[in-house]
Amino acid sequence: MFDVYKIREDFPVLKRTIDKKPIIYLDSACMTLRPVQVIDKIREYYEQYSACGERSIHKLGKGVDEEAEKAKKILRKFLNAKREEEIIFTKNTTEGINLVANAMEWKKEDVIVSSDKEHNSNLLPWQLLIPKGIRHLIVKSNPDNTFNLEAFEEKMNRDVKLVSMVHTSNLDGVTFPAKEIIKISHDHGAKVLLDAAQSIPHLPIDVRKLDVDLMAFSGHKMVGPSGTGILYGKKDMLESMKPFMVGGGTVIDTHYQTAKFEELPQKYEAGLQNYAGLMGLGEAANYIMRIGKENIEKQEKILNSIITKGMEGMKFRIIGPQDPEKRGSVVSFVPEKISPHEVAMMADEMENICLRSGAHCVHSWFNEHNLEGTTRASLYFYNTKEEAEKLIETLGKINELIK
Amino acid sequence: MICLIALIVFAVLGIFSAKYRTIAFEAFDCVFRRVTLRKCTSGLDKRLKSQITGKLMKRHHGLGKAIYKNFEIISWIFTIALILSLGYSAYSVYNLFAFGNCNGPIPDAFCVFDPFISGGHETAECSIEGVAGEITGILNVHPDDPSIGPSDAKVTVIEAGCFGCPFTRQAFPMVKQMLDHYEDQILFVYKDFPMSSAHPGAQESAEASHCAQEQGKYWEYQDLLFANPGKTEFDDLVGFSKSLELDSSQFSKCLSTRKYKSKVDADFREAFEIGVYGTPTFFINDQVVVGPKSFNELKLIIDSELAKGG
Repeated sequence: MFDVYKIREDFPVLKRTIDKKPIIYLDSACMTLRPVQVIDKIREYYEQYSACGERSIHKLGKGVDEEAEKAKKILRKFLNAKREEEIIFTKNTTEGINLVANAMEWKKEDVIVSSDKEHNSNLLPWQLLIPKGIRHLIVKSNPDNTFNLEAFEEKMNRDVKLVSMVHTSNLDGVTFPAKEIIKISHDHGAKVLLDAAQSIPHLPIDVRKLDVDLMAFSGHKMVGPSGTGILYGKKDMLESMKPFMVGGGTVIDTHYQTAKFEELPQKYEAGLQNYAGLMGLGEAANYIMRIGKENIEKQEKILNSIITKGMEGMKFRIIGPQDPEKRGSVVSFVPEKISPHEVAMMADEMENICLRSGAHCVHSWFNEHNLEGTTRASLYFYNTKEEAEKLIETLGKINELIK
Repeated sequence: MICLIALIVFAVLGIFSAKYRTIAFEAFDCVFRRVTLRKCTSGLDKRLKSQITGKLMKRHHGLGKAIYKNFEIISWIFTIALILSLGYSAYSVYNLFAFGNCNGPIPDAFCVFDPFISGGHETAECSIEGVAGEITGILNVHPDDPSIGPSDAKVTVIEAGCFGCPFTRQAFPMVKQMLDHYEDQILFVYKDFPMSSAHPGAQESAEASHCAQEQGKYWEYQDLLFANPGKTEFDDLVGFSKSLELDSSQFSKCLSTRKYKSKVDADFREAFEIGVYGTPTFFINDQVVVGPKSFNELKLIIDSELAKGG
């Protein structure tokens, strides 16, 4: 049974007070809080092992290997991937996408398709390929910021090699129809890379059902440790790519002029890994599975509805569809005649409400729409109705300041 | 406007803590941009406005709202007040260098820029209760007055002091500094103005100092009196003479017979008649300074008297 108050006891930060007031953390789209189980797992590595993995044959080294293997097993289950070697450990979503951009074989006139709401991490790696003759096409969203399947289909042809698309937007919380996008892409012979940084923490995702070719996400947005991430890839897809970062751990043998590379996933995991992070990420995936993605989604939608309804009549324009059901965990709004940063700072000063403000690393969209940015409240399963109501009360006070 | 205030406030705080320097630089950039008719891009003004308003709204919604809506006007008021305050501070610094105190030609108050030497107190002298302070003449120097320096010096500094008065004692290091600085350029004379009702034992200490004077150790004895406030009993005063290796029987007899009572009384009467009302009072040729002033203040007067050629 989902009990948010019991769950909150797992999060040490939520026990803190500042100026005798509790912290209301509504910035989980940027980084989630961590439960004590994840913190303990990280500590376990440093206290029990603190050694190299995949190299040392002593007891501590073997212990690290066992823990890393356990974590990969959990992550495989978490994604419902076919094989553990399809899970590449990275430091975040950004690294995963950059890895694909640099590991895939490109030829002149190849086309990459993305949406108009891509995070800089899913925009810049493709921009850097343009000088090599690659074309990067942008699919414009519908006026309510939902995905425009027709516009997408119009862009698709046999030249499209990769569709690299955000799954859930950090800008407005809108989730794109990944299954349809993937099907259309495959019909045109294109591969799909899904930026799942904002979807994996909230939505049930089965990579096999989705039939996605590649998918990148971060640990820190799913109660995992900072500096951890996963690039999932179908085995044949990963095998078709060349190593990007190379070095220790990526090769079986080397000579002065040649090298024999490791199999998956080591081929892409260069250098000593963040074993504490990997163990923590495994524990984070376990924790989320115990909570249940369905429960997470349900709780977020309830809270989003409370906030959306409470904001009615205020001088804050919500970005994206007005229906909270379509915005998952995000309420991103443009305040009238006042900077989004001002709203965030005042909420912080008044009630310790942690909001994010600015362009959320989606500058391209804001420039296109001639907007400075938004104030964003992003929810997670540990947020409560009382917190949502406090946000409304505080926004109401700020709203009164606007002339 | 808030950036200008922030620049000054955080620049001062930045002297003491590095964490404020970044904000000071940011504020400088903002002010510089405004001065060069460009837009402040750092958003510092908005940040400060939001944080200040947010803090106020936490405590009192109405106050926060009022501040937010009138923030620009309030910023202007603070800026003007700040500029006036800075202007006044600059004027005071000028006074400090020109006149030796913050207040200009007529020094009579605490000077924040010179707190170590100058009076720094509301009542900067020991005064006789009920006597109005107006000095109408100058003191005469008598041959039996204790003095240091050549009798034909161009500048004569006469101090009317009381050994029991804390302000006379406070001025004592300044007098020493003055004597060291001017050496034989001035004649320094000490006159007794004991205020026994307020400072019991002051009269006896003054008489004892003259008993030491007859044995040639007036200034050494005075040093001991200032160094040992409150020690005014007969045995204390005799004890000082012993520590200076004076003839103690002669000293005891001098003190017990009150040999110099008439001299001390005469000094007091003479000073009282010309209007001296408190100690220490300094007569620098014909100029009068009351209270333990800084050396710089007296120096300005002495130098001007020396320049006049006496």
